[in-house]
Amino acid sequence: MIIIDEELCKGCHLCLFMCYKNVYAISPEINKKGVQLPFVKFEERCTKCGTCEVACPDQAITVDLPENWWMKEGNDVNFNPNFTKGKK
Amino acid sequence: MSESKQNRFLQYMREDRLPHIFCPGCGNGAIINAFLAAMEKAGMDFDNIAMVSGIGCSSRIPGYLDCDSLHTTHGRALSFATGLKTANKDLDVVVFTGDGDAASIGGNHLIHAARRNINLTVICINNNIYGMTGGQISPTSPKGSFGTTAPYGNQDTPFKLAELVAAAGATYSARWTTVQIENLVLAIKEGLENPGFSFIEVATQCPTYFGRKNKLKTPTAMAAVMKANTVFKSAAERMSAKELEGKIVVGEFANTTKDEFTENIDKISVEKSGKKTVINSAYETEL
Repeated sequence: MIIIDEELCKGCHLCLFMCYKNVYAISPEINKKGVQLPFVKFEERCTKCGTCEVACPDQAITVDLPENWWMKEGNDVNFNPNFTKGKK
Repeated sequence: MSESKQNRFLQYMREDRLPHIFCPGCGNGAIINAFLAAMEKAGMDFDNIAMVSGIGCSSRIPGYLDCDSLHTTHGRALSFATGLKTANKDLDVVVFTGDGDAASIGGNHLIHAARRNINLTVICINNNIYGMTGGQISPTSPKGSFGTTAPYGNQDTPFKLAELVAAAGATYSARWTTVQIENLVLAIKEGLENPGFSFIEVATQCPTYFGRKNKLKTPTAMAAVMKANTVFKSAAERMSAKELEGKIVVGEFANTTKDEFTENIDKISVEKSGKKTVINSAYETEL
């Protein structure tokens, strides 16, 4: 699950550029700060790689890490089976 | 909102000061995240980190991080950090500095800190322009770029900071951009673990001043141009100087081991006076 903090986002849209799977889209509405917020349009594409979380300059994006099911088994955080098709 | 749904970097930041002062799309915020992620990966104690910064946009970063920080005079961040590290060598000293701070006014401090090989981690945020003062040309502005002080284009050749510091004798030197954020995290982690002078230059976007003067007004356009102009070091070795014009060469430029400055001081004081510190004081036992 991806949460975008509306108070912190400044609308640079770097998350759209950085996302490898094109999960995000720009909202047509403008909020009270004059910012067109991004929103999660295609959540089923998300592999929870966390790139948008690190690349967001305003710390506005939260990718819910406890949902990363591969982290429970071992301590190998860098191995994401969704990227490697299950091959290590 | 439950505890697990908070952003994982907010626990290290002064939340009462957020949202921060950086322009929309500025790379400094991403570098905060990259540093915190690298610190988590290296398994370091956040309470043991001391941050030193000079003057500039990038030097405002320690003000948003909830740790011990020292905001010093223009260009002298590395001198203050040298003193801090020599006085208390158990601290992990991290220096955040910009291109004007490190390359222009503090250029001598930079190369001499690299020559001494003192155990610091320097993160140099290179946005190719003086952002805070209104878009003047800096020593790292690319040839032909426009700025407030260069209305007909910059005629000077820019500094190559990572190569300069590697040649001056640093044990770790790397350059990455904010677009290759995973590599940047790994480079900062390597720099934090390296016992010696570690220098990480981060090429970042400045849509407000560099972008506006160079017809790249949105952060996304700047990031796309930066991504297209990036050449890896192994590929750059096979390219001619003409092909490399205007390109950003990324990669590791130095990764060696050498004698460290504070270790040398300890060694010579034990050799000459038989104790670990050369300080002569009435409170010597408390030190």
